Amino acid sequence: MVAGDTVKIYEYVIRRLALMIFVLFGVSAIVFYLARGFPSAFAPWAQYITFRMKPSQIQAIIVAHGFDQPLYIQYWYWLQDVFHGDWGFSNWANGLPTFEVFASRFPFTVELTVVAVIMTVVIGIPLGILSALKNNTAADHVSRIIALTGYSTPAYWFAYILQLVFFYYFYVWGLPNLPSSGAISQGLASAVPTVTGMPLVDGILAGNLTYTADAFAHVILPAFNLSFISLGYLARIVRASMLEVLRQDYIIMARSKGLSERVVIYRHALRNAMIPAMTLTGLFFAGLLGGAIITETVFSWPGVGYVSLRAVFQGDSNFLLLYSLVTALIIVSSNLVVDVMYVFLDPRIKY
Amino acid sequence: MTETVVQTDTRQSETKARIAELKYALYLMRQNPLVLTGLVLVIFFVVLAAVATLVVSPDEAFKLEFGQSYCWSSSIFSWTQLEATCPPGTNFILGTDGFGRDLFNMIILSIPLDLEIAFVIVAIATVFGVALGAVAAWVGGKFDEAILRITDIFFAFPGLVLALVFAALFGRTIQTLTIAVLLVWWPTYVRLTRGQVLVEKERTYVEALKSIGVNPARIVLFHIIPNSIYPIVVQMTLDIGGVILTFSALMFLGFSPSPALPELGNLASDGIGHVFTAPWLIVFPGLTILIIALAFNLVGDGLRDILDPRLRR
Repeated sequence: MVAGDTVKIYEYVIRRLALMIFVLFGVSAIVFYLARGFPSAFAPWAQYITFRMKPSQIQAIIVAHGFDQPLYIQYWYWLQDVFHGDWGFSNWANGLPTFEVFASRFPFTVELTVVAVIMTVVIGIPLGILSALKNNTAADHVSRIIALTGYSTPAYWFAYILQLVFFYYFYVWGLPNLPSSGAISQGLASAVPTVTGMPLVDGILAGNLTYTADAFAHVILPAFNLSFISLGYLARIVRASMLEVLRQDYIIMARSKGLSERVVIYRHALRNAMIPAMTLTGLFFAGLLGGAIITETVFSWPGVGYVSLRAVFQGDSNFLLLYSLVTALIIVSSNLVVDVMYVFLDPRIKY
Repeated sequence: MTETVVQTDTRQSETKARIAELKYALYLMRQNPLVLTGLVLVIFFVVLAAVATLVVSPDEAFKLEFGQSYCWSSSIFSWTQLEATCPPGTNFILGTDGFGRDLFNMIILSIPLDLEIAFVIVAIATVFGVALGAVAAWVGGKFDEAILRITDIFFAFPGLVLALVFAALFGRTIQTLTIAVLLVWWPTYVRLTRGQVLVEKERTYVEALKSIGVNPARIVLFHIIPNSIYPIVVQMTLDIGGVILTFSALMFLGFSPSPALPELGNLASDGIGHVFTAPWLIVFPGLTILIIALAFNLVGDGLRDILDPRLRR
């Protein structure tokens, strides 16, 4: 990279950041419109009233909080609150501050995501490489079937199958079984001090082996569920880019120099073929951080995805607004990071 | 006179080339056993969907006491939990569902609905997305920028949330759920078509068409879109499976209009509380979804390889 390029990237990033702000406003406006613009269970004043109030009292509360104003004015009020760090109260969590609820749940989602992404990479990338090297052989077909089955699988169904086999049947057969729900066993719930909020990390930090092992046992099934449905994409991308790279002149050159096949593949081909795979992994990471609603729900994993479904059912618009904004922020910024990384990884790309 | 002859000649040779191309694609498809398997399965399910009500009479299948009468002796039978569910066996190949209906029959009856919804969603998303994407790419400028930014917003939404909120707001009907899934699905086609049209737009034949004064709408509709249709077709095939998964997931998560509705995700959701006591309730409907989605994905994945000339060798 030369100096001129750096300036261009700088400009590009600034432009993208500006677009990011626009996108976040868009997301919040849409969710706000849906959640507050219609008479529905999402009625935002629900948390301020009780059954004992008279209609006139309820009306007074609605007026006092500005819920009788036109929607765009309500949105303006909401924006002001948000810029002061006030995300309101979550009626799913019986009126706890929304931000607190989110902050206590988010570490669980992070833990699940990290483990799931590691599993995806560890299984998906070798599968893709194998598929490319043994192109159009039985190994390729098998890996293609695994990949395609992965992304044809209903996540909720596979989650129950995993529970059925590894929790229930393993128990029936007298094998050591894996827990089917939650992030930590009930008895151990407060065995270690909460530092990061992630059971696995907290257990390691406290040096409590039982706790860590228990946390790990809990995360295996949901993480595998997530990785199984996404590793197919990764394997297919790795295969495609590997095949592409193997056709390049410099690979033919390396081979004709008499380099061993191992060196050609691992030193020359793999490095370039990994660029799209890294991108995709980054996007998976961002997508999963947004909370895997289905997986978290089936495994009762106490992350933000689980709460968001509860919030939808309970009309908790404050949580949904915070949740969709944070996840949108994660998705958009990871897109930006990936795009900028590309420039560093692949010098052929210019902005 | 001579001009028309030349024109028909080129037309004919063009058609011939197209047919040869198609034949070659079919040949490649035959070479690939997986794609062929997928294709056979897709045809099987589509035909099954068409004749489902002939294979299984809905009137017969919905009779509740029919199943219950067989289950009195079942060990799993208990009034507190699953009143009418009996396990897979001689009377019912796949067992009965929570209402005592033959699960095998219910699965067959639910395939038409799932396929129909998937086709409808993909078709609408395609038409809408292709139109918007093509116009955006052709017109360019501010309009293009605006469309791009709107798709940006929709891409930034976390997974299902938009669909969930929409479904929760506007009630649990098939139409609402269809629109909810559509909301999540259309931006992909806009982006895809836009990219294709931007490339095609710069080709010399478009220049030629412009210079002889062909109507821009005609150029886009009859020349550019047909030339960039392959990736769109591949995307459509791959999306059928994805839409079935998403739609059934919405049903499964509790947005079903009625627990008795024969829909695969809805059938599976019957088994939520009974996974360990009556696993077949969830296993078989889910497996059916998996096989249908896999069939479409096999075809789509194969089509992608076949239609991409670089991967042919």
